[in-house]
Amino acid sequence: MTLLTFPKLFAKPRSAEVVRPERKLRIGIPRVLNMWSTHRFWTTFFVELGVNRRSVVYSSETSEARQREFGQGRAAVDCCYPVKCMTGHYGELLHGLKKPINVLFSPKITTLPSILQGEVRNTMSCPRVLAGAESTKAGFLREGNAFADAGVIYVDPVVHLDEPKLAARELFEALDPVLEDLTPEEVEAAIEAGFAALEEFDTSLRKQSLNVLRNCAADSRPAVLALGRPYHMDPGIGHGIATELQEAGYPVLWGQYLPLEEDLLDWLYRDLLSAGRIRTPFDISDIWPSSHSSNTNELLWAARYASLMPWIACVIRFSSYECGMDQPTYTPVQETVEALGTLFFAFQDLDATNPAGSVRIRVETIDYYLKRRAQKIIEQKLAALDTPPESFSNLGSIKDAAQ
Amino acid sequence: MNKVLQDSYQTYRPRPFKKDERENVTLLFGGLTWRAERALVGLFEGAGYKAESLPPATRSDLLFGRSLVDVGQCCPTAFTTGNLARTLKDKADKIGPDRVADEYVFVTAGACGACRFGQYHYSYELALRNIGMEAFRLFLVEQHEIDQSKDDDEGFQTDTHLLLGAILSVMMTDVIQDLEYQIRPYEVEFGATDAAIKKAVEDIYDAVRNRPQNKGKLGTILWHLTTDHYAKALRKAKSHFEGIKLDRLRIKPKVKITGEFYVSTVEGDANHSIHAWLEQEGAEVLPAPVAVWFDYLMRFARRKQQDRIGIHKGARKKQLMIELARRLYRGRYHSLCKALGDIPRHLPDQNELARLAQPFYDNRLNGGEGDLLVGKALYAHLHKVAHMVCELSPYGCLPNTMSIGAMAAAQGKYPDLLYAPLEIKGDSEVHVISRCQMVLTEAKARARSEFDAALKAAGLTLEEARARYEAHPEMHDPFWQVPKRGAVGTAANVVLELGGASL
Repeated sequence: MTLLTFPKLFAKPRSAEVVRPERKLRIGIPRVLNMWSTHRFWTTFFVELGVNRRSVVYSSETSEARQREFGQGRAAVDCCYPVKCMTGHYGELLHGLKKPINVLFSPKITTLPSILQGEVRNTMSCPRVLAGAESTKAGFLREGNAFADAGVIYVDPVVHLDEPKLAARELFEALDPVLEDLTPEEVEAAIEAGFAALEEFDTSLRKQSLNVLRNCAADSRPAVLALGRPYHMDPGIGHGIATELQEAGYPVLWGQYLPLEEDLLDWLYRDLLSAGRIRTPFDISDIWPSSHSSNTNELLWAARYASLMPWIACVIRFSSYECGMDQPTYTPVQETVEALGTLFFAFQDLDATNPAGSVRIRVETIDYYLKRRAQKIIEQKLAALDTPPESFSNLGSIKDAAQ
Repeated sequence: MNKVLQDSYQTYRPRPFKKDERENVTLLFGGLTWRAERALVGLFEGAGYKAESLPPATRSDLLFGRSLVDVGQCCPTAFTTGNLARTLKDKADKIGPDRVADEYVFVTAGACGACRFGQYHYSYELALRNIGMEAFRLFLVEQHEIDQSKDDDEGFQTDTHLLLGAILSVMMTDVIQDLEYQIRPYEVEFGATDAAIKKAVEDIYDAVRNRPQNKGKLGTILWHLTTDHYAKALRKAKSHFEGIKLDRLRIKPKVKITGEFYVSTVEGDANHSIHAWLEQEGAEVLPAPVAVWFDYLMRFARRKQQDRIGIHKGARKKQLMIELARRLYRGRYHSLCKALGDIPRHLPDQNELARLAQPFYDNRLNGGEGDLLVGKALYAHLHKVAHMVCELSPYGCLPNTMSIGAMAAAQGKYPDLLYAPLEIKGDSEVHVISRCQMVLTEAKARARSEFDAALKAAGLTLEEARARYEAHPEMHDPFWQVPKRGAVGTAANVVLELGGASL
């Protein structure tokens, strides 16, 4: 996925053709944390429940200015910025929209759907991410009820997105008092539609990533992998670092949307599979056995993918200040990425302030190293693998590189 | 070897620890109170292992730990990693790294979920690499499984017998610690309680070490549920405290300690010896029993099954089984309290904790202590258990920061709650102590005014109360039950008892 797709990320899905009861409510959703990887599910979910698609509104991207305007004095505790900035998003939804909302919906997503489900111990959210809504809510309740004062109903259900039936129960219980005449069956159907929309969206982005890689292969050009948590796609959290790299001429892929074509995975993981080091291409037990956290698991998985994929010549790692989930992964991720020579650069301790000047200098450094080393990295990674699958091997440059 | 296989990163895998090595290999472990660690040494020795607890973690361990692993660890990670690394290095200096790798293994808890605690071992592994001891072996004990026995050839067998023994050991040291903390602030002869607790813990060690051998899974469960073995040991331990004379008219604020598991339970540099400091400052400290944590884990597991009834087959049955186990667990704990004259406080009602916390922190959210800290703080305040809650939260703790944030709303609703969340970094003692001091000053004032109110309600002057107290020698006895007459403080309740009044 490239940054050019960002405007599409939170775009409204196409309308379904089924007739559903209309519910004249405006739902406000904070554009934070794991909403960055599940937003399509939530939009579709509410539309399926009869909420007008224009009435499902997200807060803006994170920015210092917005945080100052809407979040000032609301933070209840000092913690990582992705959680701390939630106050600004809540504030904007309560006080910053031209057309007010009726419901502020901030799900505490406890577990996530994951491509690694079944191969890992669990797919949990970070403890701060899943409980961020509790801490943020407190900032709006400690001196009176800011939600009630704004005429907004606050709904923050615990949701297990890795268990659709449980999620349906949780969401029905949370929304039943809010949406008139709601039935469990409706919620179940909406959840099904939500997951279908999410899968369709993810698949389309994976296809785009595949095209990027194929183009890179055809031209023997390097791509860069952005390795971070979903919310690092937020320009206010990831500080547009990936955009800077794109401006320097490098296609940027995100670890969340790497292509999963069977022949491609078989090619990349063949040696590890045949040696019995892993059971499937999604098995990470040899590099990350404490695989409880969904985003951490996928981070490690993407790190290995990048280490093997020849045209990903460089990985940039995002990590927010005080991220306790990232901290134990610093060394394993770096050593995984660098195993076959892939360049690794880390942007750690990202916080509210956008360090634009230092980012530019780092990007120039990355550009310098890529210009010097990318071709060699591609060649040596190709040499370490078998013949690429047909979808890649018929691209001229690979034959040249292999020679 | 193929380049991919040769160069790819692989996580640490310890060499196996075989049964026939047991005689020559010592199990190292740590991270608990000295009482619990002593009892667990007895447990391991009784099971045929050589065992040794790590020395108490110090501030130099913290700094050493920070220097060995990736930046940004939470404070318990840095303390425990540095503590292990320092211990191994000291041993290696004496007998060489090869012998240390062959003659010692480290056992620790793992896998509590997405909290960083479940990933501590990555820090340990990195520390081992950085001190050049990659050959050293460390093993994780899963927290959510009772029987983890492996094949007979494995050196370390965490079977039901061992784990139930560990739970009972921790329970025994919890109740004896609670007794100790209720006596020491009021002892007339300075040092009498400390002398008694040392002897008492040795009695516990002996009892755990000499418990009967494994009777099979069912047999050991039944034995642990019915035996008088542990209560008998506590009755013996109780004898060391008998005869300690107490002056219960000392006005002391009660301070409930809560917080993250490690920094709230240990006593030492890892929490700036906050327990001892509070006592020196004139407080009666209510330490955090480890048993409440296990009770919470069972409550959480029960809720998990309850939510899945009708979705997952067998969820209702599992829920009932967990609740049964929880009740048996609580019953066992309370029977141990009785062995100490029922002076140690009973486990708080987990359902009540969940109910109190729910408006502020959903009890289905996992990670770390979940809603437990919010529930405990409100319980201590609303049930008049303590004048003040001192919550010890490590720097960088993921779940604790969120529950502290949630407490902002709780404080808005209960403005009288004296709540001191203290961020423990390990090297910021002045900051922590001064912050605690501010709230403690208020707690002292509250204890004093409560005492004055008690005198007034009892119709006594201080001198009259003192004279009556002296005339009742049974009240000086550590095993006299201080009646609850509507006050929080011990002295206030004693005065109310002397005057036959209530608040």
